[in-house]
Amino acid sequence: MKLILKFTLLFLLISLGVFFVGGLITYQVVKQEIDEEQERFLLERLDFFSRWIERHSPTKPFIRDKIQVYPLESGIETDIIFSDTLVMHSTLERLETHIKLDVTKSINDRLYKISLFDLIVEEDDIADSVRESMIKIYLLLTGAMLLVGGLAGAVLFKPFNKTLAKIKSFRVDQKEPLTFSKTGTEEFNKLNTFLEEMTGKIQQDYRSLREFAENASHEMQTPLTNAIGKLELLLANGSLNPEDNDRVIATLSSLKHLSKLGQSLNLLTKIDNREFHNIEKINFTDKLAQALDNFKELMDLKSISIEQQHQDKVMVNMDPTLTTILINNLLSNAIRHNHEHGFIKTFLDDKRLIITNSGPALDVDPNTLFDRFRKDRQKSEGLGLGLAIVKKICDYSGFRVAYNYQQEQHSLEIQFNI
Amino acid sequence: MKVLLVEDHIELAQNMHTYLSKEGYVCEVSASTEQAMSKLGGFDYDLLVLDLMLPDGNGLDILRWVKQTNTKMGVLILSAKNSLQDKIEGLELGADDYLPKPFHFAELNARLKAIFRRRQLQGSNVILCEDIQIDTEKHEVMVNQQLLDLTRKEYELLLYFIVNKNRVLTKQSIAEHLWGDYIDALDSFDFVYQHIKNLRKKITEAGGKDAITTMYGSGYKFISTQ
Repeated sequence: MKLILKFTLLFLLISLGVFFVGGLITYQVVKQEIDEEQERFLLERLDFFSRWIERHSPTKPFIRDKIQVYPLESGIETDIIFSDTLVMHSTLERLETHIKLDVTKSINDRLYKISLFDLIVEEDDIADSVRESMIKIYLLLTGAMLLVGGLAGAVLFKPFNKTLAKIKSFRVDQKEPLTFSKTGTEEFNKLNTFLEEMTGKIQQDYRSLREFAENASHEMQTPLTNAIGKLELLLANGSLNPEDNDRVIATLSSLKHLSKLGQSLNLLTKIDNREFHNIEKINFTDKLAQALDNFKELMDLKSISIEQQHQDKVMVNMDPTLTTILINNLLSNAIRHNHEHGFIKTFLDDKRLIITNSGPALDVDPNTLFDRFRKDRQKSEGLGLGLAIVKKICDYSGFRVAYNYQQEQHSLEIQFNI
Repeated sequence: MKVLLVEDHIELAQNMHTYLSKEGYVCEVSASTEQAMSKLGGFDYDLLVLDLMLPDGNGLDILRWVKQTNTKMGVLILSAKNSLQDKIEGLELGADDYLPKPFHFAELNARLKAIFRRRQLQGSNVILCEDIQIDTEKHEVMVNQQLLDLTRKEYELLLYFIVNKNRVLTKQSIAEHLWGDYIDALDSFDFVYQHIKNLRKKITEAGGKDAITTMYGSGYKFISTQ
């Protein structure tokens, strides 16, 4: 629910309470005011009739509509008493509640009992009118609030929505810093300034990290090239004795291993840094066929047979570079952990890719297979990063990867849509 | 063949200098963008070997500048970054090839010779060595005027040997040259032996001299007296 709508509803809910209490107060005030007015009115009439009695000094009871005057032989003066009573209304011809004023007072040395009536404004009527006006005002308020809410959403919250849209499209590796235009609202300005600073800092940190990863790779590869070169010069002379020769060869292979390790870790860092963001529709069938073609010769060397079952034109959303790395890693793995005259089966449809290969059982826990540097002891040549890279690419691209071993068959399944 | 090496790692630059000099290149070394630019401004070179990350700038700037004036010179980019973006940018700017670090010197030599052949030898793409004749345009090999039926890998292998003749080539260097990025799939380099065996067989069957010798423990060497 939108904030502005929530706010409006909350406001209306509270207003409902206020209106209820307000209605009660209004009712009380109006009723009291009316009562006072009626009493004042009756008192004025009493004055008026008192003067009339003074002038005429009636000796007989005088009874008219809303007034009764009885001359009394004896008695005492009383205070003015107000009460409610039912009186036949002359024009409406039914009993109606009236306010009644009773007094016994002496005028021209004669006692008169005077009763004055007036049609009362009924409590029900007051309550009805108060209720009606409150409901009407409340409805008016609701309408106004919804209107204000809509306008506020469209106008007041416009800069906020703009900010949201900008944050949404923000990529940490974009070159331009995130900037917001000035708004007329202090809170939004504060928010925007804060976001500008924060995203700026993030971009800077990201750049440093990325530079570090690249520099680390650079700083490592150049001396390695140097070392490899020197050893190759040593070999090229052909003057080494066989033992030294073996040592040089072993050193060369270690250096090569180190270099690849650096490159693979660098790749993992790059994926972590989300540097591969050219997500596009990839024809996975083509890519896989191409990779299989590239690996064909290596499979032949090991006399590995290949069985393919590919659906045509399987389109997958991912980065093209990562696609190539993923497929190459999977196929490399399937060839490397295979035996001579083994087989590889590839299955591809628009939901999954399954690569199955023959090969001896692993002596590591399958659950830790995707961890870094987790590898089979028998095959110490590998880096132990191949499957970690596969897992990372799958996570990054939103795929799920699972490993299964059954009857001397390793199978890796990648589900594209999860 | 005059080569300018632009590399800020002095040791490595000297190493390359030693290796390439032995191969008959005339080499000069620059360790910075500024030095490289002044040398390129003053002298003509056939080939430029360019490291991308230099202390005073990016090698791509040199490339941009060079390509405005000198289109005849071949350029090989060396990069430790191994980033696809750099590679694409470099090649788009007119570099001939891109060699990620670390590399084997034999590979560097082979790549430089290939660039040189493509750029300089207009009309003639034939390499002669002993009784072997390689047409790099048609990818054909003749031994004693007899056409050899080689697979693509065997052809590349022979060319690699001849370009690096009289040098020991390690199995690893040969494997990387032939299989490049796919090398990870291999658990040993023993299959290099198979290819070499087949190549030798094809050459000797055509009546050619068996010039490839096995250097015990280290690798192979193509011996040529020419």
